Amino acid sequence: MAKKVNSLKYEFIKGLWVENPVLISLLGLCPTLAVTVSAVNGLAMGLATTFVLTSSSIIISLIRKFIPHQVRIASYIVIIATFVTVADRFLAAWFPPISKELGPYIPLIVVNCLILGRQEAFSSKNNSGRAILDALGMGSGFILVLVALGGVREILGSGAFFGFTILGDWFNPWMVMILPPGAFLTLGFFVAGVNWLNERRAAQ
Amino acid sequence: MNTSAKMIIVLTLIAILSGAVLSSWDKVTQPRIAAFRQMELEKAIAEVLPPNDSVTVKNTENFTFYVGHAEDKPAFVALQAIGSGFQGKIVMMAGLNIDFSEITGLKILEQVETPGLGTKIVTDPSRKENPTWFTDQFKSLIIQPEITYVKNAKPSKDSEIEAITGATISSVAVVNILNDTFQKARAEFAGKAQE
Amino acid sequence: MKLILLFISAAIVNNFVLSYFLGICPFVGVSKKVSSAVSMGMAVTFVMVIAAAVTWLIYHLILVPFGVEILEYVSFILVIASLVQLVEMFIRKVSKPLYDTLGIFLPLITTNCAIMGLALFSVLREYNFIESIFFGIGAGAGFTLALVLMAGIREELELADVPKHFQGAAITMIVAGSLALAFMGFAGLISI
Repeated sequence: MAKKVNSLKYEFIKGLWVENPVLISLLGLCPTLAVTVSAVNGLAMGLATTFVLTSSSIIISLIRKFIPHQVRIASYIVIIATFVTVADRFLAAWFPPISKELGPYIPLIVVNCLILGRQEAFSSKNNSGRAILDALGMGSGFILVLVALGGVREILGSGAFFGFTILGDWFNPWMVMILPPGAFLTLGFFVAGVNWLNERRAAQ
Repeated sequence: MNTSAKMIIVLTLIAILSGAVLSSWDKVTQPRIAAFRQMELEKAIAEVLPPNDSVTVKNTENFTFYVGHAEDKPAFVALQAIGSGFQGKIVMMAGLNIDFSEITGLKILEQVETPGLGTKIVTDPSRKENPTWFTDQFKSLIIQPEITYVKNAKPSKDSEIEAITGATISSVAVVNILNDTFQKARAEFAGKAQE
Repeated sequence: MKLILLFISAAIVNNFVLSYFLGICPFVGVSKKVSSAVSMGMAVTFVMVIAAAVTWLIYHLILVPFGVEILEYVSFILVIASLVQLVEMFIRKVSKPLYDTLGIFLPLITTNCAIMGLALFSVLREYNFIESIFFGIGAGAGFTLALVLMAGIREELELADVPKHFQGAAITMIVAGSLALAFMGFAGLISI
């Protein structure tokens, strides 16, 4: 199989761009769109997702040989849901304002197709080392997109970045950017931008 | 070993492990979460009541009253007011004189109003000198017979507030929730306390 | 009366897809043709209503009395996954035509965040049993509505001259953005 020849480095960096979970594979769109009203929210959501993804990948790649094929999905979702609960309670106990802000979107990591997808496509077939690299790569790619989306929406919608006002009084915030339509529009332009960049690269 | 037995054993093991991990995590985080909630509540009460010596709790059928004592007498009372705003629930903490005549302070705890318009009930960035002017208006406001509002004008009565331009519905919602809550709460507060 | 308002609120005013972003994956994936959008919407609504009832019972009759709310997410997702399987088997036994229409969409529903979102929102908003069910029906109707509208627009888009780099997912997002903008006109119609 082609997978075997992938270098370890590639397992990590493929998630950042070539197989970026959001921009290329369009996975995990629900949290991507919902929480990115600010860069901080994007970062927190990205970190929580990466934590769940990496921890579940480690466990699942370790026990993959013991799980009967028929119950693999059920086993995966129990493991994923366990880590999501851990992350949710962690935020509620140590970072209550963030927990309040992200609300039900933290538990919804359970059904983030990105996580289940990586377990099915990668962790269940590879050893832990590769699974960790893959998970960290995908997670970083996810964080990058979330922070970028959150950043753009925050700058245009509130004239700030990570909570610091950067655009002066002359700037009239585009309220629509922090409302639901802004999420769809920004992501649409992101995906189109990626298409354009990839095509330019291919042409060279 | 046949497959279905293996299936059941593996799933059960995973479920038991998951339960064990979560119940121990629950023990670690629960006290912190509860402590934070308590702290937030106390902070909100302290913000809406004038300086007082101690706060006691009084429960009635629909309300929980936080009674502030001054000079060994009940002097103020704080309570939560909850109701529908423009898009969802608005939760407020309101402080009152013990005779339910005058508001001592108002703080909005939760709201999901439209960003940039309805959210001005919490902070209004267009009024740089005092972004919380809307809730500040309620301080020392007379609530009898009822709170009223005016649009695009300065309030002319002691029981009147100015609604936010562009967010009239949210402003009116706040006024209605308060009128409604105060009326019900007043009757219950006068009645007997429930243990 | 409150139940009707709850239904309208979940279906239109706070549309699950366009204002809570729940169920975006099928929204992008299965909204190419109106006919499949209708089937998908029906399948989701069906599972949603059952899931709303079952998760409510589990939360209020098992998790709360035993003080194990921390198992909320684990139990909800397990219930939803098994429910989807059961529904699939049941439909296959009972009605062949129905299975042919809905069948292929059912497995996709497990990871549809709209179902999980519905269960979580019901708990968060402290709905009672009947309210949860109406909330489920409303949310399902809202999901179907968004999906069908989107499919209708995308069928037309096939004929339109979309800039090259916007073809596919990008233009879908832009269209969804415009739909969301339109749905914002319903804001404040009802508040619950």
